[in-house]
Amino acid sequence: MDTTTPAPADPRAHLTSPATRAVLRVQHRVLDAVREHLGGQGFTEMLPPVIGPVTDPGARGAKQVDVDYYGHRYKLMTSAILYKQASLTAFDRIFCIAPNVRLEPLETSSTSRHLAEFHQIDVEVAGATRDDATRVAEDLVVHVVRRVVERCVPELEVLGRDPDAFTDLLSGRAFERRTHAAAVADLHETGHAQNPDAEIDWEGEALLSAKASRPFFLTDYPKGSRGFYDRENPAAPGRLLNFDLLAPEGYGELCSGSEREHEYAAIVARMRETGENPAKYAWYLKMVREGVPSSAGFGIGLERLVRFLCGLDAVWQASAFPKIPGVVSP
Amino acid sequence: MTALRADTFPEQAVRERARSGAAAVFPALSDYGAALLGEPVGPPPADALDAARLVPPVFMPLRLEKLIDLAREPLHGDVDLTTTVGGFTAHLPLYLSAFGSTSAVGTDLGRAAAAQAGALGIPMVVGENVVPVDGYNGERSLLARITAYADHAPDGAGGVVVQQSTEDADAEVWNRVYSDPATRPLLESGRLGFELKVGQGAKPGLGGLTVVDRAQADRLADRFALEPLVDPEGDRVLRCASPGTFTEEILRQQVRLMRNNYPRARVWVKLPPGRDVAAAADVAWQAGADAVTVDGAEGGSGWAPTASLAGVGLPLAECLRRIGSPRGCLLVSGRVWEGLRAVKCLAAGATATGLGRAALLAVDENPRSGLTRLVEAMTLELRLLISALGKYHPSTLSTEDLWSPAGWAVPTSPMAVAQV
Repeated sequence: MDTTTPAPADPRAHLTSPATRAVLRVQHRVLDAVREHLGGQGFTEMLPPVIGPVTDPGARGAKQVDVDYYGHRYKLMTSAILYKQASLTAFDRIFCIAPNVRLEPLETSSTSRHLAEFHQIDVEVAGATRDDATRVAEDLVVHVVRRVVERCVPELEVLGRDPDAFTDLLSGRAFERRTHAAAVADLHETGHAQNPDAEIDWEGEALLSAKASRPFFLTDYPKGSRGFYDRENPAAPGRLLNFDLLAPEGYGELCSGSEREHEYAAIVARMRETGENPAKYAWYLKMVREGVPSSAGFGIGLERLVRFLCGLDAVWQASAFPKIPGVVSP
Repeated sequence: MTALRADTFPEQAVRERARSGAAAVFPALSDYGAALLGEPVGPPPADALDAARLVPPVFMPLRLEKLIDLAREPLHGDVDLTTTVGGFTAHLPLYLSAFGSTSAVGTDLGRAAAAQAGALGIPMVVGENVVPVDGYNGERSLLARITAYADHAPDGAGGVVVQQSTEDADAEVWNRVYSDPATRPLLESGRLGFELKVGQGAKPGLGGLTVVDRAQADRLADRFALEPLVDPEGDRVLRCASPGTFTEEILRQQVRLMRNNYPRARVWVKLPPGRDVAAAADVAWQAGADAVTVDGAEGGSGWAPTASLAGVGLPLAECLRRIGSPRGCLLVSGRVWEGLRAVKCLAAGATATGLGRAALLAVDENPRSGLTRLVEAMTLELRLLISALGKYHPSTLSTEDLWSPAGWAVPTSPMAVAQV
């Protein structure tokens, strides 16, 4: 896979190219399929906030964008997680197509799979376990891929994407699951120096992904690698009841999800473990203190999913107005 | 030179070194051939480190090794002081300690110290609360100090370490530095690090304190606690940062998260001189910290309650005793300004010693070369003293090189040390 695909020359050239048009039509079909599938499963689509006093602190060094909100420092949303948990006080099953902005470290400009502005298909289910969430994610991905293969034949042809790439994914066999620890051991065997206490690094993720022919789940990440809202496994302290879904063919991570921490004291302690100042999460902690449902959920990177479906060299090709980290663009 | 004072510090001696450099390592030249020298008579030792002596042996197998290596008798100039300090290559076993937003670090002092530390090839720590108080850009800012350092640092040596307090976390100092194109050369050359501040020497258990005027206080009111009692007649206010809450698990996970989020940056952890300093240092090292810095109770450049300064926290000597043989890179600070105390710290387990107040006084004395001259004097002393011990690299120093009336073994009872 080419990891040095250059940024688009200008918006007109990008938007009028046959390839971009085909990609954006696939993206449209993906969104249709998401709404069709989740709507049929009893999910309510909500519109997520764009700004708020606090947002997902995230990980891997991405900077948040400050907004002056009548003299108060607000943030553009880096993810909808806090609002997803809060929304479960209205409905038990919700989803949203959430715009996110993260000023990723400059080193991500060459990973081919980071955008500073992107969208997530965000799903949250009250009372759900991690297994429930992975089932929803798997069913959703299979449905979306099936719809694209059925309805986007001309687009895939323009893009040179062979629909047979999805044969294994659509075979009906469940996605495989591997633990983070097993993936680390696998990477160590291949000579890749993966930190066992951290996220699988981008190179490691690409190595694991390249070996697969259909998506697979990585589970049980170590606690120091994720935000405070991923639930720690009471039966295995230090491990989280979370997961990533990785695409095959070297495309890497499509989705992150977890069972959630929802008890007040646990969340405050986890905030400290992630270096966060609880004081700035006042509205969220008030809601949690008064009670939010237990839940599990996930977010699928829309542009990453479209990149995988279209077989694109870089994720920016799946965006009409791409923002590559550090690159000044419209 | 400003009105900067350090009444509890050998200020005049530091200023003399900032003026005279290595010449100040010896008695006055005018005494040569005229004065009969001997152990100077001065005030009693301030602490157990000052009371301890370096004790060269008669038999020196490492000097023999060096002699064989060189095919001539080794001299003090053969001591190699290059040291890996918290993951950075340093020309000397020294680093510039954190000084943060305290107004004693004037516009020029912070940048002058940074530029000279860079040129000397020793790492520099930038203290907490600089961004919320002084901003990210601008003359007094965090970026000004980092840029001054980077502009003068030789290739392949030194490094910049940025602290982040709870309030800094709100300002996302580390994320901002890590993503800033201006810091990219440091990041890409492996010379950027972040220090988790768990506490500090001058006021263990308390957060950063600075005195600000009313206008600045109003601007900071939503982020810091403000204590108006400091100046009832005037308009100055005490700005209090929170010390942060730590348990073993919180420290372990914060270190791991730093390594996860900033894989290309070094991770340092700064501990206060707490009674459990050895346990905390072990947690940090085992979680993957590249360095643990310990500030003795005698350390600190910032504002602190007199009670804290007088009677809170373990002295540096006791911190070193409790840590014993460190599992990782141990960096210490606390009234270090000359080579003798520095070598004692190295022998007691430290990899490098920090210059805090001494560096500030030196650049206050001479903003262009004060720190350079102070370090020039220390460098000569380090070479003389380490070679006198029959050793030629700081890493070979050990507690066998120390003698004190109470011995240097880890005491079984803290009371035994209190009586030293």
